[in-house]
Amino acid sequence: MMRYTAIFLFASWLATVGYCQVSESSESPHFEREILPLLYGRCFSCHSEKQAEPKAGLRLDSAEGIAAAKVLNVAKPEESELLIRVSLPHADEGLMPPLNGGGQPLNDAERNLLRRWIAAGASMQGWKRFEHREAAVDYKAKPVTRTDVPQLVRQFDAIVERHHSAAKSSLNSKNSDEAFLRRVYLDVAGRIPSLAESQEFLDNTAPDKRSRLIDTLLDGEGYISHTFNWKADQLRLITRGLPGQPGYLYDEWLKESIRSGMPHDEMVRRLITADGYLWDDGAVGFYLRDRGMPFDHMSNMARVFLGTRLECAQCHDHPFEPITQREFYELTAYTFGVSNLYASSGYSTENVKQWKAVTAKLDAMDAPKSLRDFVSVTAAPLKRLTKDTEHRLRFGAEFVADPRLQGQTVQWRTIFGDEAPASVETRREALAAWMTSPRNPRFAKNIANRLFKRVMGVGLIEPVDSFSPVNRPQHAELLGFLTETMCRLQFDERAFLSLLLNSRLYQSEAGRGELETGAVFPLRGPLLRRLSAEQLWDSLLTLLVEDLDERKPAEPDRGPLGKEYLARLTNMTADELLARSYETMEYHTARRTHTLELEKQRDALRQARVAGNVEEARRLQQEFANANEPFEELHRRLNMGGPATVADSDPRWVKLPSTLVRASELPTPISLGHFLRQFGQSDRREIDAFNRNPNVTHSLGLMNGELTTAILEDTSLLRRILSESNDAFARTIEIYRAVLVRSPTEAELSQLRPAEEPRLTQEADLIWALINSPEFLFQQ
Amino acid sequence: MRNQFPADMSRRRFIESVAKAWFGVNLLQAAGNAVAAPPPKPAKATNVIYLYMRGGISHIDTFDPKPGREEMAGVQTIETSVPGVQVSEWFPRMARQMHHVTLVRSMTSTQGVHERGNYYAHTSYFQTPTITHPALGAWVLKQRGSDNALLPGNILINGSPQHPGSGYMESHFAPLPIVDPEAGLQNSRLPNGSTAMDFRRRTQLVELLSGGFRSTTPHRFAAAYDKVHAQAVELMKSKDLAAFDISQENEATRAAYGDSTFGRGCLLARRLVEHGVRYIEVEDNQNWDTHNDQIESMQRMTPSADQAIAALISDLHQRGLLESTLVVMATEFGRSPQLSTVTAGRNHHPAVFTWWAAGGGIKGGYVYGKSDDAAERVAENPVNMPDFNASVAHAVGIDVAKVEHSPSGRPFTVADNGQVIHDLFA
Repeated sequence: MMRYTAIFLFASWLATVGYCQVSESSESPHFEREILPLLYGRCFSCHSEKQAEPKAGLRLDSAEGIAAAKVLNVAKPEESELLIRVSLPHADEGLMPPLNGGGQPLNDAERNLLRRWIAAGASMQGWKRFEHREAAVDYKAKPVTRTDVPQLVRQFDAIVERHHSAAKSSLNSKNSDEAFLRRVYLDVAGRIPSLAESQEFLDNTAPDKRSRLIDTLLDGEGYISHTFNWKADQLRLITRGLPGQPGYLYDEWLKESIRSGMPHDEMVRRLITADGYLWDDGAVGFYLRDRGMPFDHMSNMARVFLGTRLECAQCHDHPFEPITQREFYELTAYTFGVSNLYASSGYSTENVKQWKAVTAKLDAMDAPKSLRDFVSVTAAPLKRLTKDTEHRLRFGAEFVADPRLQGQTVQWRTIFGDEAPASVETRREALAAWMTSPRNPRFAKNIANRLFKRVMGVGLIEPVDSFSPVNRPQHAELLGFLTETMCRLQFDERAFLSLLLNSRLYQSEAGRGELETGAVFPLRGPLLRRLSAEQLWDSLLTLLVEDLDERKPAEPDRGPLGKEYLARLTNMTADELLARSYETMEYHTARRTHTLELEKQRDALRQARVAGNVEEARRLQQEFANANEPFEELHRRLNMGGPATVADSDPRWVKLPSTLVRASELPTPISLGHFLRQFGQSDRREIDAFNRNPNVTHSLGLMNGELTTAILEDTSLLRRILSESNDAFARTIEIYRAVLVRSPTEAELSQLRPAEEPRLTQEADLIWALINSPEFLFQQ
Repeated sequence: MRNQFPADMSRRRFIESVAKAWFGVNLLQAAGNAVAAPPPKPAKATNVIYLYMRGGISHIDTFDPKPGREEMAGVQTIETSVPGVQVSEWFPRMARQMHHVTLVRSMTSTQGVHERGNYYAHTSYFQTPTITHPALGAWVLKQRGSDNALLPGNILINGSPQHPGSGYMESHFAPLPIVDPEAGLQNSRLPNGSTAMDFRRRTQLVELLSGGFRSTTPHRFAAAYDKVHAQAVELMKSKDLAAFDISQENEATRAAYGDSTFGRGCLLARRLVEHGVRYIEVEDNQNWDTHNDQIESMQRMTPSADQAIAALISDLHQRGLLESTLVVMATEFGRSPQLSTVTAGRNHHPAVFTWWAAGGGIKGGYVYGKSDDAAERVAENPVNMPDFNASVAHAVGIDVAKVEHSPSGRPFTVADNGQVIHDLFA
């Protein structure tokens, strides 16, 4: 989804500069709405007050500057320097914006727009100058809670209604209970409903059954799983991404933050101010994930929490926006001093409080290098401590924007909205407070826009990370309302989703085509889209695993990376640490011998088997088991960990492989051939790096893959439920409801009639066919 | 020129602007290509087999031995088919293929962590969390296209989950993963207990029942999934599917490659080349990260690797495919020449290591670059990963200076401006 073609580059750039709809009438284009975005995106990077010395002395960011530049010729628009320079062929060095700076040439429509504006008198229509520093939001609204949602829904619906009466359009018709059921399950629980869940809802005759279902789902386990996937894609969580560290604790922290209903602003505050070890505060994973990469860390933070892309300004002034490298450095200065972020110095024996005492003991006993090495290994998890340091960012050699500043310390400063002065000790608190304040012009808007996209299929600002002062939302009133509501709800994501899900817009039939890039979302109903890899996996598992959401993988024995052991290690005395190091050393020596021994054993067994000597193979196996027992005993005694071998004892799941759990419970990135990867699950290297593009392997996987095969088996959950009915017709209906969450149409039933004989193979055929129908892959 | 022929120039400008407006042609690009020096030697390679040794294979114990040095820890050196070029005793089969190979013994890198070294080797760029760069295979497929309409042009055998794939490029340039070379293309065969009759009946049923959705859903992905479904059905029936079936090889060939997963992968790679697959990467599923017990670990792992690689080169040669197939061996770094006194293993060593190439227009029996006597540093002609990868790209006829933009507008080249090493080419 996020990896588009080069064409997208161009289109997204158009979108970024503000969905300028080119009016064809002869009157002057609107300056601030149509012309300013062009100047902002194509000119301000070099010709504005943001540069110490604007190129060619030109300043196009004020009415005065434009007049002084003498680049417009109202009498002969074609002879305007401005128009000439943006119309040159691409091979011409005089072309603006310059291609070698990464600039994107204007297209014909944009040039025409400029020409018409100049011909109509080049009026600024009262505009004086561009305010580069976006103002803070003056926010005073009264807080509300989830119980106020019905009232908020009425306001939301009224805004949408007003839009339609002005635009002479209308909402799509209200969707059926079945369509609503499937959609809301996929959006909130991340999977299709089970047959029993469908039945319960469809049989319910209460008039408010939809809003009740919304509440139930938002408070359910499925919501946590689905929301985890969504957030983990943004935060780029990788299960085994931190060698030697209990990285899984960051995953656990995020899940717990969702479970406990931690408001979005609180979550961001906790991430930014995280300190200590992962086992004290899982949120430090936020810094460990980007260790050694302070600039990228800030780019990603701005992108995910402020809807703003700054990464161009990491290395030079931004070529498409008047964002300077200096501004980027100033923002980065807030977090630069975090130990693991600015350099690997967060990994140091200085963080191990027992270190001095232990080394003194080692010196006293004149310990050999091998023991010293193992003290180091044993204490290794304690070396990586995330904390504030005095370290300050300087303008270094990579700071190319203004060489005169090189060597100077960077003073932290926010990039828009309020200023946030701070001391070294308080800089992260100050950043967090500025970032998450309702006064921040982009924070609440970003999460509101992203949650809107999550359930409607498209954001009101697209791409969702293209916020800029000139990027006007398509439905400004609606986005304004949602942004304010997000603040009033105090960033309660469940309450906000409840508002969206209860709206008439959400409960309308989906638009069935796609929205062209840059086109305006018509607000008639959510967009049709392909299910995510996780939704597909979890939906197929719904047909296989009873009470799927409750099933969690057995907790593996994490050994030296277990939370309890690490807490104990942190508080060990020097003697205890030394003793543990001895043990570790002995263990490693034993393990090396054991590993080599295992190789020999394998060879011997293979030879016996190749020779067809079953008796000998059995004898060897027994012999080896006995021989290996002392090491395994040592391994257990020293708590060195290992994969969970405990089978699931729950009667509901006892016959199922342990890997059939929801996607959120599996490690990421998972192996390349796995169903989830095939269908485009993110490798979490980049933000939202999932993709939903069709691929032949998808069809192969759904036709012949393990999940389909398992569902077709006589003993599968679905087949067992179906077997409770003797009536072939009833079973046909059930199959449709189970897979597509709807009843078959008359037309479909009449097509199925010839195959209606109660033969089991035909039941399997129908299940197979529905899983392989395109309808199954899409959310409508 | 410009002042002399103003009329012509304006005519040219006009043509250019029309071309840009109507066809989206980027003439700047075309002009840039025209003035660039033509490649000194014509590209000979049409296919690439990229062998990746996961974990960082030692250089001193393999293709850059130092006879008589204590760092060798007793490992012996043997002569090869090329006088004066020696390899370690653990590669007796490869020694007999050395006349096809150019060893680059002066590889050097700054990335000493597996994940980052692996990423650098595959993409030629340093890893950053704001963008994923495409691996070389995606570049080659994008620039050179595929010779087989039905089979994917970029295939990854035994790949690890961290493989960068197509990076920011469109997902259809990503390598198709083959998880088990013995099993072939995943899910391309009917599952056990399912017959061709079942399959025909079921696909007909899909056809019968999905009309309603199709007719009411103009979304391009809906149509694309119909197409993909039809392609999948076609692929299952297609003769090309046999490309993935190494059981069709005779016993002698299978035996030559050995029964290791890597050997099976190499054999599969050769079959895929025969079916026109442009780029195949085979990862050795053995872990070459030999921190413990170097000697024992290498004794365990080298026989299958030696057998598989030597069989691949010899087999390609015998079939006349080596001329047009470039075989490369890469890894994330070398290993420290000093054995650890504690673990008897070797640690990560990016300062110098060996990659090699064979076939596809590369010199045979040649050694490029040199490490110092202790195999610790580069002594002559340092080569970094971008240089080597640029040479691979050049060998398959890709313009290494060509700039491509990511969706976010950032400019990239196939090997991050690596310098083609023309001396590698015959």
